[in-house]
Amino acid sequence: MSDNTMPRNAGDIDALAGEYVLGTLDIETRRDIEQRLPEEGALRAAVERWEKRLQPYTRLAEPIEPPAALWGRIEHTLAHASQDAVVRDTLSPPTGPTWLQALWQNLSLWRGLAVCGLAGMLTLGTLTALKPAQPAAPRFLVVLMTPQHSQAGWVVQASSPRDIELIPTGGFEVPPGKTLEFWTKADDWGGPVSLGLIEPGESRHLSLEHLPPLEENQLFELTLEDAGGSPLDHPTGPIQFIGRAVAL
Amino acid sequence: MAAETDHNTLLMACADGDHQALRAIYTLEGARLLGVVQRIVGDRATAEDLIHDAFVKIWQMAHTFDRERGSGKTWIFSIARHLALNHVRRRHREVTVDDETAERLEATNALAAAAEASDHFDWLGKGELDRCLAELDAERRNCLFHAYVDGYTHQEIATRLERPLGTVKAWIKRSLTALHECLT
Repeated sequence: MSDNTMPRNAGDIDALAGEYVLGTLDIETRRDIEQRLPEEGALRAAVERWEKRLQPYTRLAEPIEPPAALWGRIEHTLAHASQDAVVRDTLSPPTGPTWLQALWQNLSLWRGLAVCGLAGMLTLGTLTALKPAQPAAPRFLVVLMTPQHSQAGWVVQASSPRDIELIPTGGFEVPPGKTLEFWTKADDWGGPVSLGLIEPGESRHLSLEHLPPLEENQLFELTLEDAGGSPLDHPTGPIQFIGRAVAL
Repeated sequence: MAAETDHNTLLMACADGDHQALRAIYTLEGARLLGVVQRIVGDRATAEDLIHDAFVKIWQMAHTFDRERGSGKTWIFSIARHLALNHVRRRHREVTVDDETAERLEATNALAAAAEASDHFDWLGKGELDRCLAELDAERRNCLFHAYVDGYTHQEIATRLERPLGTVKAWIKRSLTALHECLT
């Protein structure tokens, strides 16, 4: 099921909720249900019933003792999440783009994000979700980090699935005779598509008119190419910064 | 095993900002959650990343937990399971089984060939749904548990059970209806 029409009769809602909890639905339908859960009481109640009925059978999976370091990672992320909360509290009242710009400029937050990776991004997503609804709020966020995840270099902010802005968060020295080229690839595309050459330190607004709408988990990367850009229809140089789109 | 009330109380303490409460949930359920997630994603490093994300989410969402609407334990397991399911469904958007999975499933099939049409899961004695599950054929129960425990897609179940895709889809749908009717 990947259409957007949700069943209205109780039996169908129950069956859909059952398949959601079992896990057999495709990602689009899963996302659709997850978006509707907060508003649709009948669907939510059906999901909660199936969760309750089936939960005892999670015991069919053998327990696995987590490695000692795992709790440390969780605690580390929580510590940074608290710092993020402080950042949020200092920015009152929240004012949309300004609020986000302040986040972009907060170096300690970016260092935290670089360390925390996905979890950090989840945190930011949650914070953004706490803002009052604003019509022009960005719908996707991508943090482009060095492949070793040690430093965040750029952020992609998407105000719609067709309009993105590439914003530098730190300096980057392009060696002589080289240039940065910006690429993107969604999960089901055959290969990456060039979004053009990028000047370090400059924000760039890009329209994705000729591409499918931006989607969750879509890959973005900046590669170091010879001046003039990659001679082929795919990257030929090393990846400098890379990240995936997170829906906000 | 801790009583239900413990999980509820711990979640409320998390909502109040008590790190030790989250630590207590981790101590109580970490191993079982990792087992559940590992079974779905099949890769240890990924499973550990997802458990990390699940506990961060439990921490951040604890204030939304409503004990009137269900148990804390169920809520905690749901968060971890759905993160794992979204992860594998996002990775394998295509309906077809990739070669590696097909190979793995074929090997499992060869081992299990003699046991076909018998139960693949030791499901009895786990929960209140037992009575209704007992009314289904073993093969239909296998469909449900390969989905719920292994995180298999319809296609993966069809390959595993050597049944047509349409049959598996219909079986699951009808089994859910039968379970629902049995319970009401």
